[in-house]
Amino acid sequence: MSRRLWFPVWVLAGAAVLAAPASSSWIDDLSPISNADWNVERAAHLLERGGFGGTPEDVARLAALTPQQAVDSLVEYARIDNSGAQPFEESGIWDPGMDPFPPSRADAVRQGRERGEALGVKALPEGSPRRLQPVVDKFFYGLRANSIETQRLGVWWANRMLTSKRPLEEKLTLFWHGHFATGDAKVRDYRMMLRQNAMLRQNAEGSLRALLVGILKDPAMLVYLDNGENVKAHPNENFGRELLELFTMGVGHYSEKDVREGARAFTGWTNDVLAFKFDQDQHDFGAKTFLDRTGPLDGTDIIDTILTQPATGEHVAAKLYRYFVRDDMSPAVKTELGRSFRASGYEVKPLLRRIFLSKDFYSQPSTATQIKSPVVLVISTYKKMGLRALPTIPDFGRLTGALGQTLFDPPNVAGWAGGRTWITPATLMQRGNLFRDVLFADAARFRAPDRLMPATYARVGDNLAKGMNITEATKEGTGDAESNAQVDRDEDYNTRYASYRGYLMAFERAKPIPRSAAELSLVAMASAAHAGTPEALVDYFARRFLSVPLPEKDRTAFVEFFRGKSVTSESALRELLYLVLSAPEYQLS
Amino acid sequence: MTCNCSRREFLARGLYGVSLGAGLPVFLSRTTAALTAQALQGTSMEKHPERILVVLELSGGNDGLNTVVPHGDPAYYRARPRIGIPAKEVLKVTDTFGFHPSMVGFERLYKDGRMGVVHGCGYDHPSLSHFSSMSYWHTGVPNAGEPLGWLGRVADDHLDAKSRNLIVNIGTSQSLAVRSAKHSPLVFNDPATFRRDGTDDQKKVLAQFGADAGAPASNATLDFLTATAKNAADSSDFVRQAASSYRTPVDYGIGGAFGGGLQRVAALIAAGMKTRLYYVSYPGNAFDTHVQQGDVHSRLLMYTADAVRAFLDDVARLGRADDVAVMMFTEFGRRVEENGSLGTDHGTAGPMFLFGKHDRIKGGFYGRPPSLTDLDDGNLKMTTDFRSVYATAIKEWLGYEDAATILKGRFDTLNAFA
Repeated sequence: MSRRLWFPVWVLAGAAVLAAPASSSWIDDLSPISNADWNVERAAHLLERGGFGGTPEDVARLAALTPQQAVDSLVEYARIDNSGAQPFEESGIWDPGMDPFPPSRADAVRQGRERGEALGVKALPEGSPRRLQPVVDKFFYGLRANSIETQRLGVWWANRMLTSKRPLEEKLTLFWHGHFATGDAKVRDYRMMLRQNAMLRQNAEGSLRALLVGILKDPAMLVYLDNGENVKAHPNENFGRELLELFTMGVGHYSEKDVREGARAFTGWTNDVLAFKFDQDQHDFGAKTFLDRTGPLDGTDIIDTILTQPATGEHVAAKLYRYFVRDDMSPAVKTELGRSFRASGYEVKPLLRRIFLSKDFYSQPSTATQIKSPVVLVISTYKKMGLRALPTIPDFGRLTGALGQTLFDPPNVAGWAGGRTWITPATLMQRGNLFRDVLFADAARFRAPDRLMPATYARVGDNLAKGMNITEATKEGTGDAESNAQVDRDEDYNTRYASYRGYLMAFERAKPIPRSAAELSLVAMASAAHAGTPEALVDYFARRFLSVPLPEKDRTAFVEFFRGKSVTSESALRELLYLVLSAPEYQLS
Repeated sequence: MTCNCSRREFLARGLYGVSLGAGLPVFLSRTTAALTAQALQGTSMEKHPERILVVLELSGGNDGLNTVVPHGDPAYYRARPRIGIPAKEVLKVTDTFGFHPSMVGFERLYKDGRMGVVHGCGYDHPSLSHFSSMSYWHTGVPNAGEPLGWLGRVADDHLDAKSRNLIVNIGTSQSLAVRSAKHSPLVFNDPATFRRDGTDDQKKVLAQFGADAGAPASNATLDFLTATAKNAADSSDFVRQAASSYRTPVDYGIGGAFGGGLQRVAALIAAGMKTRLYYVSYPGNAFDTHVQQGDVHSRLLMYTADAVRAFLDDVARLGRADDVAVMMFTEFGRRVEENGSLGTDHGTAGPMFLFGKHDRIKGGFYGRPPSLTDLDDGNLKMTTDFRSVYATAIKEWLGYEDAATILKGRFDTLNAFA
């Protein structure tokens, strides 16, 4: 990348932000931009929103195409060979007998008492001390091992976001994960989460109908919204309500009666562990009246009825628009995108192509006005750094989790609220601090969360090593003695010991996340860019990483900070980059 | 703070309260005049501009029947033969009701007339999902997709959006309850980590982010970020300093995060923060007591009662008892009948609690106790819509007449505040 190419870009960027007479009349204009309007700055915007951003080289490649070709290079991702993408490598933690996994420890204990075995392990013979200990150990093993496996799954997906040749596929899968929000904290089965993730990716750009049928038969979602308890005699409205409120129409377009009738249609839609199961004994085959339709409707009929409603097209198209373009949407654009979405048979791809080509997408209020989600913030930074593999020191899940977003664990069924809600004064500071951990990764002090045992359980191990028996080893503290004694009073098992054992067993079986810091040479980057002075360096980093110009006073402060330092000192360059990435402007996409 | 001065004088003095000049960061002293002017402007319609509302959340679904125990009702003991609190142990405050034996703090508050208990709070078509139900309590609009929190909407309608830190949320993430269209709540958990990392040289550079906040740019999102950066840069020092320098003789107990959170609120009040709405959560779904709940519930309630009692005493010690009310809720009560694991499953209605100074709040019980035998699928039928209690806080305590607009529905208030 030569500096010559970047100079005009900088001018254009400034012009677009500050003046842009053409671009302000583009607001709400859905007609396509012309070849003449295509430039590096707009290509960068497309890559930011339609993917996770990229290096100057990535942007230049898009800029060299026509807008149609550039948009197609993202949208027509099915044509891109992605065979290099590695599937998730399961550790194999799920043993025979662990399905169906008991909903609680108490339930595991009850099974153990009644049957003499549970979770595939036998209780000890009658009269043995703590005869149910193996069962309870296994229960906690299941919880801990699954939690580690879900962390591994998050790292796997993050790496895929970073390295996929189909960035839009991953960005869309992330959108649907937030739309059809499902969390492993409740599901407690990474296998279900993995299958849901594959289903969402498979249909990400296809029809909304396929996604709806897929998600409403998806074991993770069925568990998450308690549809196993949606039975003829006691319909559970959780599922039917979220379908209408969150997944399709939005509030205000249906009645409470529609919720109840819809719930009846989904009775008996349940799962046999990893497979959808239609339980006809629990299904209500009676007549229902849902919206404008009456008959012995089943779940698929409900979906098809919902898809006849204009509200559905508008609600989902508007959510896609807000995710890819901007928060404020004019009623006219909403109506038009909803109409064309519905008219196309709810195909996502043409909708996105239209949005990405529209003048509105490149208009001023659509540009550099989004706040990056934590996942996008971290992945796009790695992209812009030019990394080829996900750094795992610091831990990806911890970084984004501290900012309010953990993959496979959205806060509730409504997904991540996004936008300004990502930002609190404390998270804004953390959003900068985390890059210090990336740029100055400290492998010696790093403690891997997938191998971390909470202190209370680690103490059990220490106590046992000192020669204490289990009862002594699991006693906690002094002030809490009485409440902690409860778990020891049960002669059938010791809960704290089981929890400790569960961690040990999980650490043995669940593969560790391989740990490595970012492979990055800012010296090489600066040298390739011929950035030899403090001014040139600051400008280069700002161009490469920011979507808006740095305020003059910040630029001056950064230049002064670097003055006297060497452009061949990797640590000095990293100190400078940390400042750039901490700027409030860096939150903008 | 007792203040016989005019509202205007009160604001000018009360903005930073007693500690102005004492240990206040320089940048705050410098901008006092400007901020005071702002506060005066933003509160021109305020009836009680000095009043503070502290909302406490018990997450996980607190077992209301073992908290406020209906010791006079045989149906309670029939439904809970193993986990019911024996009548002789209950801290009785009426012939029919009393507190869990570990809640010595609540017994004291009740007897002092500093506490109101509202029976049977819930809403129509209750959700038994933690997430859904909690989001309904957070938004104050059950069974709808309301995007903003009820406290956020209170602030949007009544508090000056240009003034910072009017909402403080102690926690690792922002609660939906305080999500606001106009305000950026100050959210922090550990004040010690509420800072920019870096070398001294870097911190100097980082500290000036947002210094030009307020100069409107063409980019509203950037304006918001710059304002938040300024808020963070200004508030983090203040908060860290206030929290680290705060010393109190009052014993908050050993409740960890919850007591610690309330103590941080007291520290900010002592430091003269102009915050009007505080939100503290008992975190981690702690009250979800499905199994073997006896000891763990007892401990949770003890921590809770200790912390609330201590906070009210501490606020009184600071001379601000007149100005502070506390409301406490959980997302649902639990099933009337105990389950097979010496615990309780998700239920519906439960008690809510209001606290304040004895001559500000009218202590006692409110609402009708729900029947323990006339049930809805094993669950209590709610007798008071929880938004009546919200409306009480909004109208009677904060003095905002438009509670119906904020809550998107008209709810009777309880006549609980003098």
